[in-house]
Amino acid sequence: MIRHALAEGWLLLRQRLVISFGLALALAIPVCLAGVTFAVMQWLTPVVGLADQANTVAVLLHPHMDAEQRNDWLRSQSESHPDWRLETVSPEELADRLVHWFPYLTDLLDGDGATMLPPLVEITAADPESVSVLAKSPAVIAVGPRVSIRRVLGLAARSLGLLLAATSVVLLLSAALLAGVWVHLELYRHADEIAIMRLVGATEATLQAPFLVATAAPGLLAGALSVLGTLTITNGLSEIAGALALPEITVGPLVLAAQFLVGLLLPLTAAMITLARHAMVELES
Amino acid sequence: MSRGAGAHPPVIRLRHVDKEYDGRQVLRDLDLTVDGGEFVFVTGPSGAGKTTLLRLLYAAEKPSSGEVWVAGERVDEITRARLSVLRRKVGVIFQDFKLLKRKTVLENITFVLRFHGVAPREAHRRAYNVLKRLGLHHRQSALPEALSGGEQQRVAIARALAYQPRLILADEPTGNLDADLAGELLSLLCDINYQGATVLVATHDHSLLESIPARTLILHRGGVHFDGMWPP
Repeated sequence: MIRHALAEGWLLLRQRLVISFGLALALAIPVCLAGVTFAVMQWLTPVVGLADQANTVAVLLHPHMDAEQRNDWLRSQSESHPDWRLETVSPEELADRLVHWFPYLTDLLDGDGATMLPPLVEITAADPESVSVLAKSPAVIAVGPRVSIRRVLGLAARSLGLLLAATSVVLLLSAALLAGVWVHLELYRHADEIAIMRLVGATEATLQAPFLVATAAPGLLAGALSVLGTLTITNGLSEIAGALALPEITVGPLVLAAQFLVGLLLPLTAAMITLARHAMVELES
Repeated sequence: MSRGAGAHPPVIRLRHVDKEYDGRQVLRDLDLTVDGGEFVFVTGPSGAGKTTLLRLLYAAEKPSSGEVWVAGERVDEITRARLSVLRRKVGVIFQDFKLLKRKTVLENITFVLRFHGVAPREAHRRAYNVLKRLGLHHRQSALPEALSGGEQQRVAIARALAYQPRLILADEPTGNLDADLAGELLSLLCDINYQGATVLVATHDHSLLESIPARTLILHRGGVHFDGMWPP
């Protein structure tokens, strides 16, 4: 059975060597892209994480509030918004933080030192927009910018990752479909022989095995090519990242092994589905 | 002829079988029983239903109604898995040969023997022997397209006989053979029948019918017009 499958599968392959190589390439490209996407997503994980991090908003309080009033206000805000984390900036850091959060208020710092700087509170919230309600509070002079550039970066990185992943999935499905169509065409091309073999008692397994062998070969090649492609591309990207003083992009052996398996199993699965559907064709009634 | 007819359980049994194509009735309420070890000729004019009857027996088609039993299997309700088992018990000599074009003469036979679980070397030996018996061993490496019609027919016969099936169905097996070869084929079929196989030959070749006494069915308009020994 195995010898028969290998011999007949090799015959099928030999008759369609160029097309089989084309199929291997068509399978390798999406599998390679999926591997590169995975590596890039891993590399971007810290940036993507920024989108999920709680965001901090600076709130300037009225300068004439005394310490007791300030503490009362902080306590009431903590009670009203248990999800907020409020931190009063220490007097030593105040000047720097004010410039950081409110660069347009630098005139506050231009005085002779006698000017009382307003207290600054940094509020960290899952939804920074929710802090904007404080703008109406009489104790508050100004609420700082709510959208963090880090959040924008994180969202952009996540979107890029999702786009790449979606593209990979679509390409992988297309490749599987291509493999299925290839097997279907081969079945069609050999329809007469298959019909004769069925008439003389061939089992479905005997009929299908050569097609699986003929599909496994481009699958193996696709797996190998996709691993090579991923290594080449990630090395190239790593060099660019290194030149920009960014961390290297790495791809682990498990990812490469998974890629190889996907390259092999994807066309085999598509072939098995196509062959099973073909075998379902009932006798003429 | 008809070695041991009636002494063995039926190998073929048809009950009230109808077959129609696009409203045209080809077989009409056909009842037929062929016992194990019988030699049966099926004859009749063109369109009488000979080929259709054979196609029903090797399950290339299903009847429109009725039951078809072959080698203990109800063919009209058979599953794909059982079908391949059944077909390995039946040797079919097709009117249009049905040879694999990309395989040599020898491979066409060894290929089928491999389905039957015969080891490669044994398959090669058996295929060669049957080809030798049919005078085709010198063409073993030829592709079917390089053979004449008669040679192709002999390859189809060799393939059907190589795995020594319990039932042989032959559709016009002498259609492309000269008288000598037709006689040789008939003698081969008789030998196989004598060894216990049931043989059913569809033919309109009267000389073949006259050459040996055997049970003969004459089909006419889809029904059995005559069923008995011929020549009487």
